[in-house]
Amino acid sequence: MKNESQNTSSSTDNFLRLFKAVAILGVIVWLGFFVYGNATNPDSNSPFKLGLDLAGGAQLVYEADISKIDPAEIPALMNVLRNVIEERINVFGVSEPVVYLESSSFVSDKRSERLVVELPGVTNIADAVAEIGRTPLLEFKLIDRAAAAAQEQVLALQASATGTGAQISNVQVNGELVDTMNPYTDTGLTGRYLESARLEFTNGQGGQLSNEPVVSITFNKEGSDLFAEITRSNVGEQLAIFLDGEMLSAPRINEAITGGTAVISGGFNPQEARALAQNLSFGALPVPIELVSTQTIGATLGQEVLDKGIKAAALGFGLVLIFMVFWYRLPGLIATIALLAYVVIIMALFQFIPVVLTAAGLAGFVLSLGMAVDANVLVFERFKEEIRLGKDSRQAINTGFSRAWGAIRDGNITSLLSAIILFWFGTSVVKGFALVFGIGILVSMFSALVISRMLLLSLPSFTKEKNKVLNFLLGSGFQK
Amino acid sequence: MFVISYRKVFLIIATILMLGSIAIVAFVGLRPGIDFTGGSLMQVSYTENLPVKTEVEAKVAEQSLGSFTVRETKDDIGQDGYLVRTKSLTEPERKSLETTLTSFGTGAEITRFTSIGPVIGQELKDKSVWAVTGVMLIIVLYVAFAFAGIGKPVGSFAYGFITILVLIHDVLVPMAVISILGVVAGVEVDVLFVMAILAVLGYSVNDTIVIFDRVRENLIQNRKEKKIKTNIAGVVHDEVTYTLTKPFDEIVGEAVHSTMSRSINTSFTTLLTLIALYFIGGSVTQTFALVLIVGVLAGTYSSICIASPLLIAYAKWKEGKKVSS
Repeated sequence: MKNESQNTSSSTDNFLRLFKAVAILGVIVWLGFFVYGNATNPDSNSPFKLGLDLAGGAQLVYEADISKIDPAEIPALMNVLRNVIEERINVFGVSEPVVYLESSSFVSDKRSERLVVELPGVTNIADAVAEIGRTPLLEFKLIDRAAAAAQEQVLALQASATGTGAQISNVQVNGELVDTMNPYTDTGLTGRYLESARLEFTNGQGGQLSNEPVVSITFNKEGSDLFAEITRSNVGEQLAIFLDGEMLSAPRINEAITGGTAVISGGFNPQEARALAQNLSFGALPVPIELVSTQTIGATLGQEVLDKGIKAAALGFGLVLIFMVFWYRLPGLIATIALLAYVVIIMALFQFIPVVLTAAGLAGFVLSLGMAVDANVLVFERFKEEIRLGKDSRQAINTGFSRAWGAIRDGNITSLLSAIILFWFGTSVVKGFALVFGIGILVSMFSALVISRMLLLSLPSFTKEKNKVLNFLLGSGFQK
Repeated sequence: MFVISYRKVFLIIATILMLGSIAIVAFVGLRPGIDFTGGSLMQVSYTENLPVKTEVEAKVAEQSLGSFTVRETKDDIGQDGYLVRTKSLTEPERKSLETTLTSFGTGAEITRFTSIGPVIGQELKDKSVWAVTGVMLIIVLYVAFAFAGIGKPVGSFAYGFITILVLIHDVLVPMAVISILGVVAGVEVDVLFVMAILAVLGYSVNDTIVIFDRVRENLIQNRKEKKIKTNIAGVVHDEVTYTLTKPFDEIVGEAVHSTMSRSINTSFTTLLTLIALYFIGGSVTQTFALVLIVGVLAGTYSSICIASPLLIAYAKWKEGKKVSS
């Protein structure tokens, strides 16, 4: 705080004060245009970010089953989980999907890890739920040679019969009715028995292409036994490998394989092979997940909530400004400018941090508009008291600020501490509110202590007796 | 100063209000929403031909989803519809309920669906209790710290505890109001309610601290310093004792008086924005706004009419104890 005795009213000093005030007004106006430009320009790099409840969309919360996992591995596995889910979501082409992890805080008895998926604009969640819950299904099936041969013939017949209107039905092989379209018999061996899978490149032996990317898989004990059993009793047959219902390859079984490893080749490119190896080695997902919470909000409804929130904010703000000017007159007008600066700075911060705006955050912002005048009010009340004691206005301003500082500090620090606790404990919704609340506190202090003060000090100095007009302008309430 | 002369009346009113609120919250209780209990909430809106409630209920009952409630509602666009609350639904159950609800009326649309597992609900409950307790603890510690050394006649922890008492009052009153509205209008408590309560805490403490801050300033201005030199083990110590030049209650009364217009003006501007939020804001934040409106009113009343009288009452009680012992 500046010393009261430093109150020289030389013209250069006055000019400097005025210059500072005009400069700060200029910066605010510039920032205002900047924020406006960002908000209205669709190609802007930092527009307002709207939460799902305002933009419309779906939020899915999955709980990971970590009961069988070594706690030390959890963070790494959860990250892998996020990557896998992110990839699956990208299939949808949803614009800006968000996938993030959330841990239960230490206050809950049970540690739990969650995965939150946000899909803006998606309200039909059935497909999304299916896709996220999808496990890449790896199956090993034996080919029934008789059926396969029959199928080939049937297909040939079908091809020649095309256009003649003839139909083929009741295909029998060795007197038995066969399902011609499915010459494959399940072996019971699936991706469930995998221990690991990794990308390898063939070395060109045995007539293979050299450097072809393949996925080498290793079965677990159970799987190895099953695999050995199948290969032993089906030497000479073909074992088809299916991924998600599509046959990748059908190698011939030359001998019983007891090592518990196999190679899947299917004309992959290296990226595909790597993705498959990754998906397979996680047994689909690194940790099993369960959908525990879903939320969808229609886009029109979200837009309406947003519009109403903005209207409420504008009306509330307008009323506050009118009251301030009516009650505190000239200082009130200055507080109004400081409040406008407050709004502009907050909005700029929302755009640049960026803060995701939700209905709760919007409510917090509206609340902060009402509370932001507090520091100004504290100062003005102090200022009035000092004027009443006969001090000149500039001294009164300086004393007003320095005396009000203690109350402003203590009040705001407790509020700030509350915001920090909220942020620390909260789920994402609460965090959004806490962030808006916390930013609001800091910016309102800045607007009152720096902007209001600078503007007030740019006013000419006067004392109670000297100037009736100024005296009125600096009065308040119902007094004349 | 009326606050000081009528302090007994104010304290009696406050006690009645507080006990009444406790009774209401304890016996009527808040209606927990699905955020806390877990469950699903599906909102369906119809552009025309709103089906009758009993028909909707009958159809939902056919789904055998366990107990459920159907409530009439108007969405933010102004369309009529229903809010169906059930247990936490699985994906197939959700789909079939959605099909059922959109099979009536005209232009049916599921505008909102929320499903929360029971584990998350319980966790949120725990978190809320911890957050509120944590905030209160931080406040009492900060107030005690900020007012440390304020000394006579009331120690700094007394300021902290009075702040907490006032906070409890400010939180109980809106809780009681929402409890009553839960019975009368089916208002349910959700995460936003907890945030509103925490915001009330923040607001109320600010209001009280401003007055206490003024008390502290007036105490410093209205005391005489007396230095006594004492010689302990050959080292000379300066022992400073203070005596107040004005009675404590007068000092407190002046502090309340000079901060009163600030308290009222800040509350007024805050109420202006909250009322705007309540009447023209979205339906989601209506309860939030209401809790804060009640909380701000209670907070303003309590910081002026409870906090300072309590301070004086405590000082008098301490003085009385000293005299009698």
